[in-house]
Amino acid sequence: MKRYVFLLIAIVLAAIYLFPLYWMYVTALKSGSDIFRYPPAFWPAHPRLQLAQVFATYQVDRYVWNSFVVALGATFITVLLGTGAAYVLANVRHPIVTVALFAILMLQVLPPSLMVTPLFVAFNQLGLLEWPRFAVVLATAAKTLPFYIVLCRATFTQIPGELRDAALVDGNSRIGAFLHIVLPLARNGILVVSTLVFLQSFGEYVYSRSMIATKELQTATVGLSSFLGANSNDWVGLMTYASIYVTPILIVFVLLQRHIVSGLTAGALK
Amino acid sequence: MKIMKIFNALRDGNGFESALVIAPVVYLVAFSAFPLVYNVVMSFQHVDMFSIATLNRPFVGLVNYIDVFSRPETPGVLWNTVIFVILSIVFQLSIGFALALFFQNDFPGASYLRGLFLAGWVMPALVVGAIWKWIFAGDFGVLNWVVRSLHIVNAPVFWISDPAVALYSIIIANIWLGIPFNMILLSVGLAGIPGDVYEAAALDGAGPFQRFRTITLPLMGSTLGAVIALGAIFTLQQFDLVAALTQGGPANASNVAQYWSWQLSFETYEISDGSVIATLMLTVVALVALIYVRSVQREQRL
Amino acid sequence: MYQIEIDHLCKSYGAVKILKDISLNVEKGSFVTLIGPSGCGKSTLLRLVAGLEKITSGTVKIAGEVVNDRPPRERHVAMVFQSYALYPHMTVSKNLTYALRLRGRPKQEIDERAAATGQLLGLSDLLDRMPRDLSGGQRQRVAMGRAIVRDPQVFLFDEPLSNLDAALRVRMRSELRKLHQRLGATSLYVTHDQIEAMTMADTVVVLRDGVVEQVGAPLDLYHRPANRFVAGFIGSPAMNFVEGIVTEDGRGVVLSQARKQRLELPRPLQSGRKVWIGLRPEHMQLGGAGKKQKFDVQVDTVESTGSMTFIETKADPTSLIIAQSGTAQVAGGTTITVGINSEDIYLFDIKTELAV
Repeated sequence: MKRYVFLLIAIVLAAIYLFPLYWMYVTALKSGSDIFRYPPAFWPAHPRLQLAQVFATYQVDRYVWNSFVVALGATFITVLLGTGAAYVLANVRHPIVTVALFAILMLQVLPPSLMVTPLFVAFNQLGLLEWPRFAVVLATAAKTLPFYIVLCRATFTQIPGELRDAALVDGNSRIGAFLHIVLPLARNGILVVSTLVFLQSFGEYVYSRSMIATKELQTATVGLSSFLGANSNDWVGLMTYASIYVTPILIVFVLLQRHIVSGLTAGALK
Repeated sequence: MKIMKIFNALRDGNGFESALVIAPVVYLVAFSAFPLVYNVVMSFQHVDMFSIATLNRPFVGLVNYIDVFSRPETPGVLWNTVIFVILSIVFQLSIGFALALFFQNDFPGASYLRGLFLAGWVMPALVVGAIWKWIFAGDFGVLNWVVRSLHIVNAPVFWISDPAVALYSIIIANIWLGIPFNMILLSVGLAGIPGDVYEAAALDGAGPFQRFRTITLPLMGSTLGAVIALGAIFTLQQFDLVAALTQGGPANASNVAQYWSWQLSFETYEISDGSVIATLMLTVVALVALIYVRSVQREQRL
Repeated sequence: MYQIEIDHLCKSYGAVKILKDISLNVEKGSFVTLIGPSGCGKSTLLRLVAGLEKITSGTVKIAGEVVNDRPPRERHVAMVFQSYALYPHMTVSKNLTYALRLRGRPKQEIDERAAATGQLLGLSDLLDRMPRDLSGGQRQRVAMGRAIVRDPQVFLFDEPLSNLDAALRVRMRSELRKLHQRLGATSLYVTHDQIEAMTMADTVVVLRDGVVEQVGAPLDLYHRPANRFVAGFIGSPAMNFVEGIVTEDGRGVVLSQARKQRLELPRPLQSGRKVWIGLRPEHMQLGGAGKKQKFDVQVDTVESTGSMTFIETKADPTSLIIAQSGTAQVAGGTTITVGINSEDIYLFDIKTELAV
């Protein structure tokens, strides 16, 4: 019996914590007058979804698409550059490796809001701001790369070194051993971490806000923030926007929840 | 012939390993290390809208630093940053620890429910800020309804626009954001303590609080160090929440250093001053990061 | 006076019954071993006495008081864990004195007790070391010291020697035995190693599937096993079991169908009754000199360790293991004569498996 009391308490605690998410969805379903009811309504009187209106007013589709492009680009660069490095750092014992690991760990801490100033200035000088989304991709990838390397390295350390040695003895070159033997085994861990990187980049704000001037190319976060200041009264529209933006993230999260937890814990404490 | 040799080294020799590492290293040097240095450099130069495109800018020594520290808003913003970090860590850690301890119990659905909390970590911080802005709304926000119904206050609190509370609204949202990460890491630390050590303590006469004080806390030492350091680092990185909730206002009442630096560079184009704040903050962050790395590398051999 | 009284104790996890109606009394100052195959419930029984698990039904009394609802710290028992469970962040000295410090004993008393225990176990030089810097044997002794220093009413041991290498185990066995003689403390000792059980205990309790199969002094269990399970469990190499049918005259039993070997029974039985015939490897002697009965067997393999020779016979229908001290001159494939005394022939009913 005691176990079910715990379960009940756990459900209550989770419900309290996740209330903001619930509130976002509930608000999106309310009508204009419902918003201004006091005490607030916990369930809309006439639930309705204003999708078409929101798409028209806020151009959610374009902004979300831009976010997607940026996330895809950043993830691509990160995976391309980071996987090999993670592999090497997992398997090679060398004082340089310890130094490199230390440096990479330290690079994770740089706040983007402080890095954006020099990056912007440099990009401006190089003319990179002509392709603003590309500039954001480059900046974001620099942020996610250390994170990716640390977590992927944890995945690689779990693959026994003997497998690679066996592959080499069997006739593989080092590239072959890596591509044909180790990589497929690490595939699941890599996929999980890549998804985390993608989700992070999908929600990027600072770089996008600072480097993309053209409205058509701005990302979902920037779009949302620009409506936060001025139209702060259209909460229904804003929460609908947020719901559209965030729901794909939550779906991916729910599907991969277990793997995300184990991936995170392996990386942060090793 | 030389080319073949290089190619072979890349394929099979140590060149292979080096090649895999060089690419990301070059990338990070270009886009992380270099901007770091550039920040410091710019803090000693005079940079504004006009000189932004050139490399040749006048070197002005410590003038920018003096300028920043003689601004009236500087002490307030720095002090806000300190409060922001300390309060965030204290509450994220205690709530996260309490949840981690709770979820140590064995009951059906425990790991699934615990994983649900990570939804907070996965969400874009800006969206979280937007939602909390709505929750904090003065007249129609749900939080005011809750605190008034519980008779904690009598009149609506203007979380966002009242200078006395604006900073705390950001802190509350930040605590919400940080709880899942704390909880998961602390759970892992707790799981690393063997169960029979607790049993031995129980037999030796220790009650639950004594076991927590004499067994759990000491053995969680390096985990706690890592969690606190990471908490500080993530809080110092927090920008989106401020942008969504208060934009540092009203009148810098809720402004924090990392947001202010951006404001200086991108809203008032006082780029040199922005770089000064950035450089100062980066030193602080680097120090905290050192603590984090030390904690992680210190092995707890049982 | 009984130090521990266990009365109709049952333990279930949901629908799974681990202990089924166990009743056991332990005299003050005696050393009792709980032995049995894995999964028999011996560790669970120990943990129920310690208070680390909840009792499903039945009572446990320590020093005359019912302790069912008391938490471990109120039962005045000390436990030595299989993995030692030393406090990793405390020195040996702090490990030893943890319980005393919790109770707020005066510093002088704590220091004296720690020093005395340290000396008793040869730990005096190690008092300032951390557990991770100790060898397996040293950790084991610290675990024991931690239990001893508290002067408890009962000592509980959960397979404390199984993580040690063979040579160390032998040494620690005799040390434990000497310690027990010196301290005179009531001890409940769980092990799966029957040699430990036999050499260290005053009383041995054999458990199987949550039920007590037999309780008695070690040699009692060896010479007079109550059922086939105990007979096969005690003694190494294990007793040989051959199916047999009592002959018409009720005085013999047919040992091997093909060769029509007959053994004389120690006492008459109903003819036609089916029994298990139990023959200990060490009771069968090559050549049969000085033994009352003889029969022939065909040798299959011979293993010699120098001090002992083990002969395995061809299956007929069951193969027998014969243990002989010294080096025997026997070759595989030959037929040899083996002798045994009638009183060393054990009989168990085929169906109930109880001793006949």
